[in-house]
Amino acid sequence: MKRWLNKKQNDSKQSKENWEKALEKSNDFTQSTYINQKSNVPFCLTFMSTLVDEQIIQQGVLPYLLEGELNKLEDIKKIVPSADVEISTDHTVIDKKILNGYILLTIDTEPEHFAFIATQKEIVRSLSPPEIEFSVIGPKEAFVESLGQNLNLIRKRLPVKELIIEEYTLGSLSQTKVAVLYMHGITNEENVNTVKQRINEVHFDAITDSSYIVQLICDNSNSPFPQLLDTERPDRVSGILAEGKIAIVVDGSPHVLITPTTLIEFFSSFEDYFLNWILSSFFRLIRVGAVLFSLLITPIYVAVLSYHYELIPRDLLGTLVASRRQIPLPPILEALFLELTIELLREAGARLPTKVGQTIGIVGGIVIGTASVEAGLTSNVLLIIVALAALASFTTPVYKMGNTIRLLRFPFLLAAELWGLLGIVFAFCIMLTHLIRLTSMGRPFLEPIYPPRVTDLKDSFIRLPFRFQSKRPMLLRTEKRERFSKKKAKIKKDIDEE
Amino acid sequence: MPGQSIPDHLKISPFLVLYMVMSMQIGIGVLGYQRLIVLTAGNDAWISVLITGGCIHIIIWMIYKIAETVNGDLVSAHVYIAGNFVGKLLSSFFIIYYFIYSLTVQRSYLEVIQVWMFPTMNIFWFTLAYMLLCIYIIYGGVRTVIGIAFFGIVLPAYLFPVFGFSLQLAEFNHLLPIWNNSLKDILIGSYKMSLTFIGFEVVLFFYPFIKEPQKSKKWAHLAILLTTFLYTSIMIITITYFSRDLLSRSVWATLTMWKIVNFPFVERFEYIGIATWSLVILPNVCMSIWISSRLLKRIFNLQQKKGVIIMAAATLIAINFLPTRAEVSLLNDITGQIGFVFNFIYIPLLLVVVMIVKKVKKR
Repeated sequence: MKRWLNKKQNDSKQSKENWEKALEKSNDFTQSTYINQKSNVPFCLTFMSTLVDEQIIQQGVLPYLLEGELNKLEDIKKIVPSADVEISTDHTVIDKKILNGYILLTIDTEPEHFAFIATQKEIVRSLSPPEIEFSVIGPKEAFVESLGQNLNLIRKRLPVKELIIEEYTLGSLSQTKVAVLYMHGITNEENVNTVKQRINEVHFDAITDSSYIVQLICDNSNSPFPQLLDTERPDRVSGILAEGKIAIVVDGSPHVLITPTTLIEFFSSFEDYFLNWILSSFFRLIRVGAVLFSLLITPIYVAVLSYHYELIPRDLLGTLVASRRQIPLPPILEALFLELTIELLREAGARLPTKVGQTIGIVGGIVIGTASVEAGLTSNVLLIIVALAALASFTTPVYKMGNTIRLLRFPFLLAAELWGLLGIVFAFCIMLTHLIRLTSMGRPFLEPIYPPRVTDLKDSFIRLPFRFQSKRPMLLRTEKRERFSKKKAKIKKDIDEE
Repeated sequence: MPGQSIPDHLKISPFLVLYMVMSMQIGIGVLGYQRLIVLTAGNDAWISVLITGGCIHIIIWMIYKIAETVNGDLVSAHVYIAGNFVGKLLSSFFIIYYFIYSLTVQRSYLEVIQVWMFPTMNIFWFTLAYMLLCIYIIYGGVRTVIGIAFFGIVLPAYLFPVFGFSLQLAEFNHLLPIWNNSLKDILIGSYKMSLTFIGFEVVLFFYPFIKEPQKSKKWAHLAILLTTFLYTSIMIITITYFSRDLLSRSVWATLTMWKIVNFPFVERFEYIGIATWSLVILPNVCMSIWISSRLLKRIFNLQQKKGVIIMAAATLIAINFLPTRAEVSLLNDITGQIGFVFNFIYIPLLLVVVMIVKKVKKR
């Protein structure tokens, strides 16, 4: 028995030395001893100077420790005016706590007890307007890189006890905090469990952004389509939480993930909900049309000019032929040349600082475009088509989906070159099959188109007025279908009555 | 019975039976069924179409009766009446039937492509691509197969209003006098029409995958109703649009009608029609390969993943042995006759036998 005790003590000493040894190698490791002025008890503070807020220590911790009545470790809870003070006997958490910005406080008389005081330094970028999902109307707040700040932005909008926040720590090296948010009693339990299970199964060393989580927990990582919606708008997140979806907030990332999502959701901007339903439905239809246009127009040009001249009426064919008379290249090379030019411009514009990027845009768009037409490398009809298609692909409100659309144009182009219109339909069939097979957290990605659910169409291609949105989407299988009672909201009024 | 209990989340909603039946019925036949019927039934061809449509409602009723009695697919029905070995032996015939069916559809479509769009289209490479797509679809399970059936109806639906262009030039006098032809001719027309109508028997194979199959009945009947309406209206438009003489020379009357379509930006609309049609025949091919691979699984306990590849490879090989128009039309005739026997003779017979066996078993 005694031997065992001895051994245990040795062990604890060993581990104590271990964490100390490991941390000492860093220059920001600080350890200093003070003596309490009233009881003359010496105490030692250990912390990482880069992680703690010096101001909190100097003003909020140290004066109280020096001047207060400190006899034993329990006393700090009374004298230090901080809510997050913890006393523990567990050696294994010491390094974790210190590395999370806590101060370790030890007293020589009590070698088996440790106190941790929270003094984290939080560097928070001030709130800025959303840059990717900018909207003319509506709130101008966007998420920042701090988890606490982001959760605050969401909770502020949903101040009810039903909003549940569950935190996880992921990444063996990065120790990233990840929060899963859902509405208790509304969100489907099965969906929540799927998300939790997927998050628990994440095995990766450094998670530096929410995009990592997207790729690690999505249903099919070999798909070009994003299966989780990411947004930088707190209003959007609170909106979808109320609808019964699940949000995932990752520390250090200004993008919050939303799941389960559908394809159609990627073409809806949150501004749609701020506008009148007629306008927003119109804009949504335009966006969906733009995507189809962007995807198909260049392949159709290639298909028609390579194989199906007969398809074009004589008058229009004249224009086309006149513009192509001088061009030595076959349509596919011409199209690939221009499409790649646009992609180069986009990539260069995205990598360069804003001001230089603008210049490049002008140089690229105007100079290269006009010059290549004048040099007889491309036809001006195709130039118009490609420029329009690029423009259309940028109307997609979600950046990641826009990228997917632009990528998908190339397989379509090749298919068009191979088998003309038939090839385009064939490529479309492949895409369609892929979309039918795709799921987001186990829910069909193509809903409400397939499986066809007429009730969910109310907020898809079009957005019906709010009074028709009394039920939550069927896709989510929410515990509470009704958002509000339609009967109560109904106002019966006849002509000339009040 | 192994392989029969299907988990609920893999089943399809009852109303999807509408698209399943319709997309299997509407296939390559629509592009040129009019000539054959009009040759026998004359300007009363549309009555033949209606008669066939009416008969099919009865057959669908029978199919559901069989499936309900044995609570399963055709293999279950065969096992129910003839025991395990003979039942499976009977069912294995349908592997060949659906193999020939998918081959016919695929080859006939290629024939259309070769005649109208690409005379030098390579059969092998196109079939290879098409089969790979089919394998990809079937690997997604029944939900994906039915999903393609759904889009195979919904997306090409825009082609239907296009017939309005032909309606502008319609000569409704062609329809008169009604009942100009003998009942015998009209009935022969109905028999020939049945070849375009077949496909609804897939219910007998997909039955275990339908959620609450009771509710799907009305959707199956609605599907027949819609197809009958579609075929009848196209038939009427064809009769009024073509002169009798011209029609007897138009192998693909539907395609010929599309020639008149004229938009400011599109001249030869049939190109678009033919290209879109590959989406229409895709569910035909997929469902028949699905059925034959499913039968392989039910009868020989072969993994369906392997079965699909075997069927696709067999189609890919066999299609090379049908190089010319003569073989294609021979194949079409054979498939049509087998289909007729199966649907209009075998299924009623099967129902009678199933009912007798049921009575005997009750005693």
